[in-house]
Amino acid sequence: MDYNWDFASVFVYWNVLAMGLWATFKLFIICSTLGLGGGLFMGMLRYSKTRWISYPAMLYVEVFRNTPVLVQIIWFFFALPVVTGIEVSPMMAAVLGITLNTIAFSAEVFRGGIQSIEREQWEAGKAIGMSYAQSMRRVILPQALKRMLPPLTSRGIEVFKMSTLASVVAYPETLQQAKLIASYEYNPIEAYTVVALMFFIVLLPLVQLTYMLERRFGKSDA
Amino acid sequence: MVVEIVRERLLYEWDFVATLADMDLLLLGLWNTIQVFFLALVFGVPLGLGLALGRMSRILVLSQLCSFIIEFFRTTPPLVQLFWFFFALPILISVQMTPFVASVLTFSIQSSAFFAEIFRGGINSIDKGQWEAAKAIGMTRKSSLTRIILPQAVKRMIPAFAERSIELLKTTTLISTVSYADLMFQANELASKNFRPLEVYTVVAIMYFFLILTFSQLTIRLEYRLAKTGEGTLR
Repeated sequence: MDYNWDFASVFVYWNVLAMGLWATFKLFIICSTLGLGGGLFMGMLRYSKTRWISYPAMLYVEVFRNTPVLVQIIWFFFALPVVTGIEVSPMMAAVLGITLNTIAFSAEVFRGGIQSIEREQWEAGKAIGMSYAQSMRRVILPQALKRMLPPLTSRGIEVFKMSTLASVVAYPETLQQAKLIASYEYNPIEAYTVVALMFFIVLLPLVQLTYMLERRFGKSDA
Repeated sequence: MVVEIVRERLLYEWDFVATLADMDLLLLGLWNTIQVFFLALVFGVPLGLGLALGRMSRILVLSQLCSFIIEFFRTTPPLVQLFWFFFALPILISVQMTPFVASVLTFSIQSSAFFAEIFRGGINSIDKGQWEAAKAIGMTRKSSLTRIILPQAVKRMIPAFAERSIELLKTTTLISTVSYADLMFQANELASKNFRPLEVYTVVAIMYFFLILTFSQLTIRLEYRLAKTGEGTLR
């Protein structure tokens, strides 16, 4: 254990890592916005009483929930161009894979949340003359969102961690940049330790927030 | 012209023959995937229980140490951990690291952090009266845990436990990046050999789909059975 730690060899490349972190954030923001938005939409389709709407939505959700994200990213990167003839950039492949995956997972959260609201709430909405869309937007969703907050935050954390998979198709996010530094300077220990700490520092407050939300909204309807 | 391109693409001739001819390569990969998955469960679950008990311990140092380990492995991406164990750890303790050992090590520890939280949640969900009842008939803390609390808690944990295992199964695809010959890695090899990425990755996606679907259907069945006997969380 007499290894000489040399973090200076990593920190001289701080701008490389900063670029990586920025790219990670970019992926995170795009994928979580599109993923959660799309998930809400998909969740409502899944909840629909019309079979030809809910079945395709269910098929979509099951396909994307039951295949690994890495397989999806690689598929979009290597296989999609063969079918469509469109060149797929690493960024595009990562965004497609992570977003479509997040849509599938959050759709189930949204569906569960909507289903957890008592039937009477729908009836009450109807009784005062609200349409389906109105009751959904004004009565059901505001209550359901509160219950869904903890699982949705953990989904967000998952997306942030998933963004490292983009390094497999050489998108220059944090891990990819660290790989680069490690191969220049032969300092994998320091490079990967720094990356691990970066993720830890960024995500720890978010994880604490989830705990707080769970305590607040998890059980009761306060 | 656009129409031409679209037509040409739609006429792409799918040819699964080359991929299916090398199915044995993919099946070998599948077997290797299952091996890592299984070993990570075997090591990860007991380790998770240990971490959970440590975190709930009354000894402050122990509980804070376990909390830190759990939070650290839950908040860092598994791919970063894998790289660290594969590229960094061998230099640090100067041992030879094989992709297999690094994978099993990473995923045992990574999943144990998540299992620990499941154990903790399960144990905490058991009514305090159960502890008191055990104490009242003279059981020590340890024997009330193993005889009264855990048997009840484990039943409640099964859905969360199954979900985490499925997550683990999907995460094992990462080990292809350190050249362990799992299903994903074999697919990469095959695609670069037969120049048919579309077919290869589609077949692999389907293989993963059915593997995971089978596993999740089994757990749903188990949950229903537990719900029937009134021990599950489903209603």
